[in-house]
Amino acid sequence: MNQIYIEDVDLGDDVGPLVLEPTRDQLNAFTKVWGTSVGRFTSDEVAKSEGFTGVILPGNMSMAFLGQLLTEWCGYEGKLRRLDVDFRRSIQPGDKLNCTGIITDIEVVDQENQVTLDVFIETQKGERALQGTAMVVLPSKS
Amino acid sequence: MSSVDPMDSIEFDRSIIGIDYDVGHHEVTEEQVIGFANAIGETNPLYLDKDAANNGPYGSLIAPPAYYTSINLEPGPDPKVKFGTTGFNASQHCEFYEPMKVGDTITAKAQVARVYAKTGRTGTLVFTVRRTTYSNQHERVVTMVESSFVLRDMSQ
Repeated sequence: MNQIYIEDVDLGDDVGPLVLEPTRDQLNAFTKVWGTSVGRFTSDEVAKSEGFTGVILPGNMSMAFLGQLLTEWCGYEGKLRRLDVDFRRSIQPGDKLNCTGIITDIEVVDQENQVTLDVFIETQKGERALQGTAMVVLPSKS
Repeated sequence: MSSVDPMDSIEFDRSIIGIDYDVGHHEVTEEQVIGFANAIGETNPLYLDKDAANNGPYGSLIAPPAYYTSINLEPGPDPKVKFGTTGFNASQHCEFYEPMKVGDTITAKAQVARVYAKTGRTGTLVFTVRRTTYSNQHERVVTMVESSFVLRDMSQ
């Protein structure tokens, strides 16, 4: 894994996109690990009765994609410190997702290099399913 | 905007607000960390490759930040908000202080931090904010999560 340093980043820089196409198998694996039996995540029938066209991904799962985007970007020595998301629209297996971040602030607080980002997941329809902010701590070269 | 606080007319159990309840313990296992990481399509060796992780910055496999979502807890305190016909997760605020590591024993406490209402164009929404705090066996808080659940009345 490549390591990114605070000297490498600037305001307005993009992070990602991490392009994902979550499958039904992945959704099933996630609900199994989680141990949930909530119908809208496991049964098309239940999901349809709630007004969806089929099963949807738990917000927790799509939020984990943003975690993945950020921890892959910040490398072994970086740390994801904060992640805040609003769940705006549902995501279904087979949707094509662009997980992206934009650096909005860089500051040194208590000798930590804190990078603040806007983060979001956009679907193939151009809709933002998740939107939020994150703070990542990056190492210095020196 | 009305000057009447919509919360005045909404019934819920105010006695539990701000009080922490134990909601369970969890052993972080290699199997669950790898299962979770695979389910979300992770490729990071810190979560998946024992040898690489043992030689990495934490000296063992660690869990991805969002791993806490796979920890099954007791439901915790319920404010029994009497409002609305449907509900959904509105948002989540997470702080990660240090990673959960394979072999850790995590203890979780949960509280209802606040219940509040907002009235807008589409009617009144009632938000319940739950705060869950995850600590490791060294009694250090590793993760804190605030989840906001919204109730709305679709029959309005």
